Amino acid sequence: MTLAIVPLMPLERGQLHVIRLRAVRTALILLAAAVAGEFFVPELPMPGAILAPALLVALWIAGFAPRRRWRRWGYAFTGGELHVEHGLWTRVHTIVPTLRVQHIDVAQDVLERLFGVATLVLHTAGTDTNVVILPGIARSTAEEIRDAIRERIGGAQHD
Amino acid sequence: MIDPGAAPRRLHILTVIMRFVKRAPSTVILPPLILGFAGREFHPALALGAFAAIAAAVILSTWLGWWSFTYRIGAEEVLIQHGVLQRRRRSIPRGRIQDVSIERSPFARVFGLAVVKLETGGGEAEEARLDSVSMAEAERLRALLRGHRPVAEIRVGAEAPVQPGRRIVFAMSLGRVLLCGVFGFSMIWIAAIFGAIHSLDRVLKLDWEKLFGEAERFAFARFSILALFLVLAMALLLCLIAGVARTLLKDYGFTLTHESGRFRRIRGLLTRSEVVIADRRIQLGLVRRGAISGRLGWNSVEVQTLGGSADRAGRQEMAPFATAEEAAQVIAATPLPPFQRPGLRPVAPAHILRFAIHHGMPIVLVPGIAGFFLSPLWWGLLLAPAPVILAIFQRAGHRYALRDTSLQVMRGVLSQRDWIVPIESIQTLTVRRSWLQRRLGVATVTVDTAGASGWHRPDVSDVPFDSALALARALTARGD
Repeated sequence: MTLAIVPLMPLERGQLHVIRLRAVRTALILLAAAVAGEFFVPELPMPGAILAPALLVALWIAGFAPRRRWRRWGYAFTGGELHVEHGLWTRVHTIVPTLRVQHIDVAQDVLERLFGVATLVLHTAGTDTNVVILPGIARSTAEEIRDAIRERIGGAQHD
Repeated sequence: MIDPGAAPRRLHILTVIMRFVKRAPSTVILPPLILGFAGREFHPALALGAFAAIAAAVILSTWLGWWSFTYRIGAEEVLIQHGVLQRRRRSIPRGRIQDVSIERSPFARVFGLAVVKLETGGGEAEEARLDSVSMAEAERLRALLRGHRPVAEIRVGAEAPVQPGRRIVFAMSLGRVLLCGVFGFSMIWIAAIFGAIHSLDRVLKLDWEKLFGEAERFAFARFSILALFLVLAMALLLCLIAGVARTLLKDYGFTLTHESGRFRRIRGLLTRSEVVIADRRIQLGLVRRGAISGRLGWNSVEVQTLGGSADRAGRQEMAPFATAEEAAQVIAATPLPPFQRPGLRPVAPAHILRFAIHHGMPIVLVPGIAGFFLSPLWWGLLLAPAPVILAIFQRAGHRYALRDTSLQVMRGVLSQRDWIVPIESIQTLTVRRSWLQRRLGVATVTVDTAGASGWHRPDVSDVPFDSALALARALTARGD
C-alpha cells in the first residue's frame, strides 16, 4: 500500500546505479573494518565471528537494499506543491507548498553527473525539515521544477 | 530594478590573499615546522621545501575556490554558483530577501573589504554570504537589493513614538507572581541546594558530628520515620522558596501591551527585560496547563516567532500564569484564531499501544537486564504497568481538528498543551508510517513551522491512515 495523496513518479534509472555504487562503497568500508577486526581482536570465540555477520550485512547493504530503496522513492510536482516520498522501514511522505520555498539548489556530484541525474534541494523557513531533498531526477526536470517554483514565488510576491 | 552589470561577478581578488593569511597558521606554518623538527634537530631545507609546496597548494586551492564562486543579481533572483568539482547553484528570489547586512572584521578593514550577508528570514542562518567584496560593491549590493521590497510588507518604524493605540493585554500582580512561583517549584532545586550546602560545608569545615551528632543519633534512634518526614518537608520547603524566588526575579511586574501591530513585554525584578514581538512574525500559539496548576485552572500562553532583524526566533512567553479566560484574551489579541475544545477528534486506539511500547520498553528492559546482575532490581519490573496507564491517558488527551484557518492539536498526559497552528505558517507537511504503524493502519502527521524549539511539536500521532490522508490533502488544499 502506498500513500495515495497524489500519483507519484519514480526516480530516474540512473539513480539506482548511484545508490548501488554508494552502497558498494559503504559495504567495502564495513568489510575492511571487519577484516581488520578479525586480525586484531584477540581471542575470538571462532574464526569469522566478526567477518560472517559483517558479510551478511554487507550483502544486504550492497545486494538487496539498493533496488528496494530506489523503488521506495517517488515524487510529484503539482505546481502548488512538491511531494517527496521515501523510506524502506519508515515511509515518509513530505509535502512542500511551493509558496513556502525560500530558495532552491540544484546539485550534482561526480557520481550523479556520470549517470545523468541531479538532486533538487528545497529550503524552507521551517525548523525540523527545513531542507527537503529530492535526488535522482534528470537535470532538465530539476531545472524545470526549479523554474516553475521560482515563477510562482515571484508571481506571489509581485501581486 | 535591473542590475546594470547583470553578468556574473566574482568576489574581490584580495579575498584570496585574505583567506590564505587566515589559513596560514594551520597550513603553511605549523606543518612545515613540525616536519622541520621531526628529527633530533631542525632541518631548514625540509621545512622550507614543505613550506613552498604547501603554500603553492593552498594558494592554488584558494584561488580555485575564488575563481569558481560567482554571483549575479538578476531581475528576479540572486544566483550564486560555486564549487570546482561539485557545482552548486543557489537561486534566491529577490522578493524573499529580508535584509542585507554588511559585516567588517578588523582584518577585512585593513584590505578595505566587507562580508555581505543576504537574510531571507529562515531562522538564524543567513542564506547567502559573499565573503568578501569591496566596500563600494557592498554598498551597491545593499542599495540594489534593499530597493526591491515586497509590496505587501508594512514597515513599522523602529522607534514609533505613537502611543495612543497601546493597551495592556495581560499583567501580573505581585500576588499572582508569588502564586505562580509556588507552582513553579522544581525538584531540581533540591539537588542544587544540597550540592551547595555540601560544598559550603567543605569551605567552612563545620564539624557536623560535634554539632548535631548526639542529637541526630538520638533522634534517628527514637523517631526515625518522623526524622525522614522532617527532612522531606524541609526539602520541599526549600524547593518552594527557590521556585518563588526564581519566578519573582523573572516575572516581577510582568506586563504585556499591544500597539500598532506588535506586542511589548516587560518583566523582571533585578534585570528588567523588554521584548518586542511583531504580530506578523507570530507563527503559532501554545496554551500549556501544568500537571497540578493546570487542574486548578491556570494556563500559560506562548507564541512561536520567526526570527528577524529586530526580534529573535523561538518561543516567547505571552502570559506565564493566566486563567482560561485571560489566556483566551491574550490569544484574541494576536492574529491567531481561538482554540476551540468542541469538535476535536480523538486519534486511533493504536496510539495506546505505540505510546506504551515507546515509553515502556526502557522501563521493562533496564530492570529486566539489570536483574540478572543484581536480583533486587527485578522489582523494577513492577513499574511496567505505569507506561500502559500513561498511554491510556495520553490517547484520551490527544485530540485534533482542522479549522477554517488553523490546525488545532491537544497533547499531553500530566501537563497538557493546546496548539494553534495557522495553516499559512506550515512550512512543510509530513506523513510518516513506521513498520509497526503500517501493520496497525495508522500514520503520524507532522507539520513543520519556523522558529520551533524544545522537545514538543504539534504532531498528530497515530490517526487512522485515511484520516491522515484526508488531513494532509485538506491542509495542502487550503495552503494554496
